[in-house]
Amino acid sequence: MALEIGTNPMEMDTIAARLVADFGDELRDVRVQEPDTIVARCDKSVLKDLAGRLKSHPEIGYETLNFVAGVDKVSHIESIYHVYSWKTNTYLELHVELPRAKAEVDTVTGVWPAANWHEREAWDMVGIKYLGHPDLRRILLKDDFVGHPLRKDYVDLVENHPHV
Amino acid sequence: MFEQFDTPEPDEAVKLALRRIDEATARGEGSDVEGLAFNEVVVNMGPQHPSTHGVLRLVVTLDGELVKDVIPVIGYLHRCKEKLAEKRTYFQYIPIVDRTEYVAGINCEWGYVMTVEKLMGIRPTRRAEFIRVITGELSRIASHLVAVGTFTADLAPLGTAMVFYMFRDREGILDLLEELTGARMMFNYFRFGGVRYDLPDGWVEKCREFMKRMPKMIDEYESLVDDNAVFLQRCMGKGVITQQDVMDYGITGPNARASAVALDLRRTRPYSVYPELDFEVCTLDHGDIFDRYKVRMMELRESVRIVEQCLDMLPKGPIQLGSLRAPYVITPPPGSCYVGQENPRGEFGTYIESDGSRYPYRLKFRDPCFCNLQLFPKLLSGNKIADAVAISGSIDLVLGGIDR
Amino acid sequence: MSDASPERSGLRYPKLEHFSEPNVITTTADFIFSWARSHSVFPFTYGLACCAIEMLSSGFARFDVARYGMEVFRPTPRQCDLMIVAGTLNEKMAPVLKRLYDQMAEPKWVISMGACATSGGPFYDGYNVVNGVDKIVPVDVYIPGCPPRPEALFQGLLELQGKIQQHRFVAEKPAIAAGVPAVAVDAPAPAEES
Repeated sequence: MALEIGTNPMEMDTIAARLVADFGDELRDVRVQEPDTIVARCDKSVLKDLAGRLKSHPEIGYETLNFVAGVDKVSHIESIYHVYSWKTNTYLELHVELPRAKAEVDTVTGVWPAANWHEREAWDMVGIKYLGHPDLRRILLKDDFVGHPLRKDYVDLVENHPHV
Repeated sequence: MFEQFDTPEPDEAVKLALRRIDEATARGEGSDVEGLAFNEVVVNMGPQHPSTHGVLRLVVTLDGELVKDVIPVIGYLHRCKEKLAEKRTYFQYIPIVDRTEYVAGINCEWGYVMTVEKLMGIRPTRRAEFIRVITGELSRIASHLVAVGTFTADLAPLGTAMVFYMFRDREGILDLLEELTGARMMFNYFRFGGVRYDLPDGWVEKCREFMKRMPKMIDEYESLVDDNAVFLQRCMGKGVITQQDVMDYGITGPNARASAVALDLRRTRPYSVYPELDFEVCTLDHGDIFDRYKVRMMELRESVRIVEQCLDMLPKGPIQLGSLRAPYVITPPPGSCYVGQENPRGEFGTYIESDGSRYPYRLKFRDPCFCNLQLFPKLLSGNKIADAVAISGSIDLVLGGIDR
Repeated sequence: MSDASPERSGLRYPKLEHFSEPNVITTTADFIFSWARSHSVFPFTYGLACCAIEMLSSGFARFDVARYGMEVFRPTPRQCDLMIVAGTLNEKMAPVLKRLYDQMAEPKWVISMGACATSGGPFYDGYNVVNGVDKIVPVDVYIPGCPPRPEALFQGLLELQGKIQQHRFVAEKPAIAAGVPAVAVDAPAPAEES
């Protein structure tokens, strides 16, 4: 099996229309961001199922996960999944909004194995808990670090600076 | 004074390794010799280690010489770059991006500057685009020289001549870049809409002369190791990255190209003036250590070709957009954007979210080495420890990018 | 910072001056030992970040550190006398640094190479960054720069050579720096500086 790029080139508007047609009720606010990205939003409850179906879509399979980013928008927290489709050579940026008080969402490690470390980093930096993750522990910071630094209300704590 | 002799408390990674051994024992996968207890040892490699290319710590579970499991522990160089982005203006952040993958500073700057330009909706001048390609490819040559040089230095600790020759030639490139930008390593050269300095007098001739010498030097490097039976035996057939791995883990760059995946962002999603240039995407079939080394050598030759073409096609004109001469505080409109760029190690992407103020709201780097390092447990298991060192050298990691 | 001397760690050597006055034999022996020590330093490759690449460059053919006798970069602290901390130190790495410094045998020196190791550098306000290596280990020479050129590293190494040559290992000499008291053998050990 040779991994080819761009075997099924499609116009961005066609891809957007196709996604709306196939995943209409789960994938919301689909819009095209030139030149090669589709931005969409989905609910956290449908994420795992939707991810599996996005990956196995016959014409626009989003087979590779580029990164997972956690963003603290003060009213809520977002988990952003940036995935790549080899067949159409385009990206999809999926935003999942989580309530700030309980920032939990299902892991997508079962769908995209690359999510393992990316989700660990989002947990470490922003404090999003990924339910079902095989090994959710801190990755970049030391194990006894207190707090999640990339939250907007993070304050530098004395406990985190023993060697000041 | 005697703390140095205490065994440290096992931390999370070591506890995880020990737990995995216990679980394997409970499943009955003990020693294969009747009557002997389970014989695996947990050994710590790093974070200070000559062969881990920076402060990478590998908690290795060994059965004799055989590596059973590897748990990479990173974060020993975490410098809070993503948080610092929220306290620096876009322009103040350019020198900090340089230090992400410090071996290929220009390429990292390029990725960041391209993302901000896309957010602002501006395009650099044509002369600046060509200068960007020239400096980017020079930086790629320098980075591959470091990568292959340190890889061969790992195989025999500094015992190969290759690393000395490669660093000697890297000095030639750093001289060119120093004359242009003022610095040997942290260039701080790209600006939004162009570059900082124009090419000095005589620089084009010096660069052309260096590019004429380069292919002979690449031949010299290859002649040192390509026929060496020990090198071939250590490198061929080991550490194979399959195409399924490339798809599952997002492996990009020469590591993917050595597995017959023609993924080169300069071709598949071209940026700058690459569509006008004639170069090949170097791929090989086996995906082992030798192919990864060979792809980098082939890319050196392609980069030389690209630089020569750009020097011939270099147009006259301004190197910066007039409107951005001064002041340098920019406020991109609210929105978000991601741009990926072909770093010597893979796809280096920057995701920026802007809220219309002078500081980025959120900046996230998609680092190629972070994704490549995830493959380690799968790649190193089942090999001898010496092969593990060779494999980790061939993946070409720079901890500055992994830890940010 | 405190002068790097054997008294610092609490080890007490009986000095020859307790048996005789410093004389031409002890000072000549001192001179020879110090000269030999300064010209055969074994650096410890503690390259953390970008400065490590400049340290590597200085070890190779163009900027040859072997002309100062320092080309033997050993990766294990037990065989080294000089630790060149090149790069940013962060909270996760700090205990490792302390441990490796403790594992070096006396006499040992530390060079802090680059802006990050000296004072945190461009990352000084990071939540995870230690603002300077001298918060963990005593530093003898600071080399500014981001990264310092190999020539700057050599200037630092030459300063260190000068400092090593001022050490007296055999016989005690009046204090070099003002305010450093000469320590007698039955005085209590000076307090550990942390």
